Amino acid sequence: MPDTHFYRYDDYDRALVGERVAQFRDQVRRRLAGELTEEQFKPLRLTNGLYLQLHAYMLRIAIPYGTLSSRQLRQLAAIARKYDRGYGHFTTRQNLQLHWIRLEDAPDAIAMLAEVDMHSIQTSGNCVRNTTADHFAGAAIDEIEDPRVWCEIVRQWSTLHPEFSFLPRKFKIAITGSPNDRAAVRVHDIGLRLWKNACDEVGFEVIVGGGLGRTPMIGKTIREFLPKDELLAYLEATLRVYNRYGRRDNLFKARIKILVHEIGAERMREEVEAEYAAMRDSALKLSPETVEAIARQFAPPVLRPRRTRVPEVEAMKLENRAFALWLKSNVAPHRVPGHAIVTASLKPAGAPPGDASSAQMEGVADIADAWSHGEIRVSHEQNLVLPHVAIESLPEVYRALEKLGFAEANVGKITDIIACPGLDYCALANARSIPVAQRISNHFAELARQHDIGDLKIKISGCINACGHHHVGHIGILGVDKNGVELYQLSLGGDVDFGKTALGTILGPAVESDKVVEAVEAMVATYLGARRPGERFVDTYRRIGAQPFKERVYGNS
Amino acid sequence: MAKNLSGDMQVASANRLSDGAVVFLDDFGQWTRRLDRAALARDKRTAEILLARARAEAASVVDPFLVAVTESGDGVLEPLSLREKIRASGLTFAAIAAEAVRYA
Amino acid sequence: MEIPSEQPIDQGPMLVLDNAEDVTRLGDRLAGVKLIVLNFPKFTDGRAYSQARLLRERMGYTGELRAAGQVYIDQIPFMLRCGFDSFASAQKGFAEALAKARTLFSVVYQPTGDGRTTVNQLRLQHRRSAAA
Ligand code: SF4
Repeated sequence: MPDTHFYRYDDYDRALVGERVAQFRDQVRRRLAGELTEEQFKPLRLTNGLYLQLHAYMLRIAIPYGTLSSRQLRQLAAIARKYDRGYGHFTTRQNLQLHWIRLEDAPDAIAMLAEVDMHSIQTSGNCVRNTTADHFAGAAIDEIEDPRVWCEIVRQWSTLHPEFSFLPRKFKIAITGSPNDRAAVRVHDIGLRLWKNACDEVGFEVIVGGGLGRTPMIGKTIREFLPKDELLAYLEATLRVYNRYGRRDNLFKARIKILVHEIGAERMREEVEAEYAAMRDSALKLSPETVEAIARQFAPPVLRPRRTRVPEVEAMKLENRAFALWLKSNVAPHRVPGHAIVTASLKPAGAPPGDASSAQMEGVADIADAWSHGEIRVSHEQNLVLPHVAIESLPEVYRALEKLGFAEANVGKITDIIACPGLDYCALANARSIPVAQRISNHFAELARQHDIGDLKIKISGCINACGHHHVGHIGILGVDKNGVELYQLSLGGDVDFGKTALGTILGPAVESDKVVEAVEAMVATYLGARRPGERFVDTYRRIGAQPFKERVYGNS
Repeated sequence: MAKNLSGDMQVASANRLSDGAVVFLDDFGQWTRRLDRAALARDKRTAEILLARARAEAASVVDPFLVAVTESGDGVLEPLSLREKIRASGLTFAAIAAEAVRYA
Repeated sequence: MEIPSEQPIDQGPMLVLDNAEDVTRLGDRLAGVKLIVLNFPKFTDGRAYSQARLLRERMGYTGELRAAGQVYIDQIPFMLRCGFDSFASAQKGFAEALAKARTLFSVVYQPTGDGRTTVNQLRLQHRRSAAA
């Protein structure tokens, strides 16, 4: 088995996760025995990632910084097979959801996670959730520093944090180490961006109060440059301000973004800085040894530069059109010459976005072992990533992915749809998401056309909670309920590219379910008719505005 | 949260504590997986009684509530809201099979 | 340690604080206080955890710190770590759970005022002794 190139638990981490399993086992026992009411038990199961949905319990498993070893992915497959229905759903937050878990089995399933140094702690509840990172971390060409080192530091600090386990609402942190943000840091409760200042020091820009959901907001920078070793002190200060002053009178106004909005970014900054002043240079300050010990574990695999022009690849490009398109859309440059980052699309035509069967997970694990140093990433676009593939292996990797159904050349294209589970699973939903995604996916299945249409991100949420990130879709689709009928509100122009983070604008009245494909087709046609060379869908929209799209979708009447 | 669909005919439903499965209260105060065995309240008054009974039998289930249903000519019950239809009859698309390595 | 909240307090001056109170402004009111009661109106309302830590770690309060309101078994480990040392809870089995709560988790990641050695401190000690 290949070495891992990311953090491995030591005995302390293992002890804690094991003790957490034992605690949860006891909590489940007490609930089943009637010693705990549902009201008392619910927050306990939620902080272990266990939801009760429409048809069953759902277990949400954290995939810290979206990084998995092949061994871990195989274990996830095994858990899904043993305690679920043999498949899982990768979410937009680098989590895996198993939708058919029994309460009675949940402690055993979580114990199996602990065997491979994983857990489901704090994947729900009003606490600090799984900290997410750029899925290309450690491989990206534009990276300043690997953000996962800091995610791991935050993971440990936030795990069972005694002060912040009953916050006003959930709390999500994302970290990026690249100027091209792939972690959507401006739409998180706290976003952290590593950057290098004029003195060549690397530190964090601290962005607070972003988020999607009912009241989408773009985060505000409250600290331009934070020395890295003060990260935990600054986070603790921010969380303390939020814990004390965040609203608890109204569930919909309880996120930190509302606090920042109500008191203003400036006052928020003052409060946090005052608290931080009392905490800096405390036991929270990270010693260089601590950081180095963790950073060392993220040392990337030693990759020797290899040929970048490989005759076999060039030949296959000429004879296999789908492969040529796949190279364009699913393969990204790696920082080591002769290597590439491959995205395995979990969006084959007509499939539920982000779902993978146990057999498929095992297949991806095998591919990772053979060609990607045993490592897999989970992207917030609900795809899997093979971060370290030699260019000369691309034909083999492509064929292997093709067998799994994960070689669709559609990454970033119109069928690379993000969709939440929606009304088919989710107790909070207004409308279904997956069947809508499937219809759009089938309609636009032709690859050549998708590549002609170019980059176009469709994001679908089944309700205002926005798990499908519809606000930041180039085309956003939001399910609403009108007198028991599913309707879909369309929005245009959202984006999450750094510096360009934008929320979409609602196009017009919500449309019926069977009109969604038609409406998307009309928007695409508007774009194709109006685009200038090199313009993406969203660029054209920005230039010509919503009116032409509106007219095409709703008619002139 | 039951949708605001009016309808006088109701059944009591909940999720089973042990595994989360959708269950309905039958005429004998037992929880059943089968909607066709559910106790049917035909008016508001009986619905209230039904809900009270469901709550009294709630040790093995989570949060009982009433579901508005219609009854076809031959006595087949169907929930009014889409959410409850999905709860009663499952996913509206084909989930991927456990051993599937290929879609389609 | 199971103390009903109605029990009269005779060991000295006490303060009962609302969980919205800014404890860093108590100043003179803390002088001579032997007991502070912090409130959990709902167990999901976690403001008193911050109050407790601020009292212990910033204001230097060393007297009894009691959790009152919705105080349940599964919160005990968090409460202990934040500096609470007495609990008003009527929940069945609370006393037994309290006895076990300190050993429920053998490791802690966060430095708080409870004096426990954190994982990072243990790792550092380990590394330094290995290097020596
Ligand atoms: S967006 Fe709404 S429907 Fe979709 S998963 Fe989130 S809560 Fe459920």
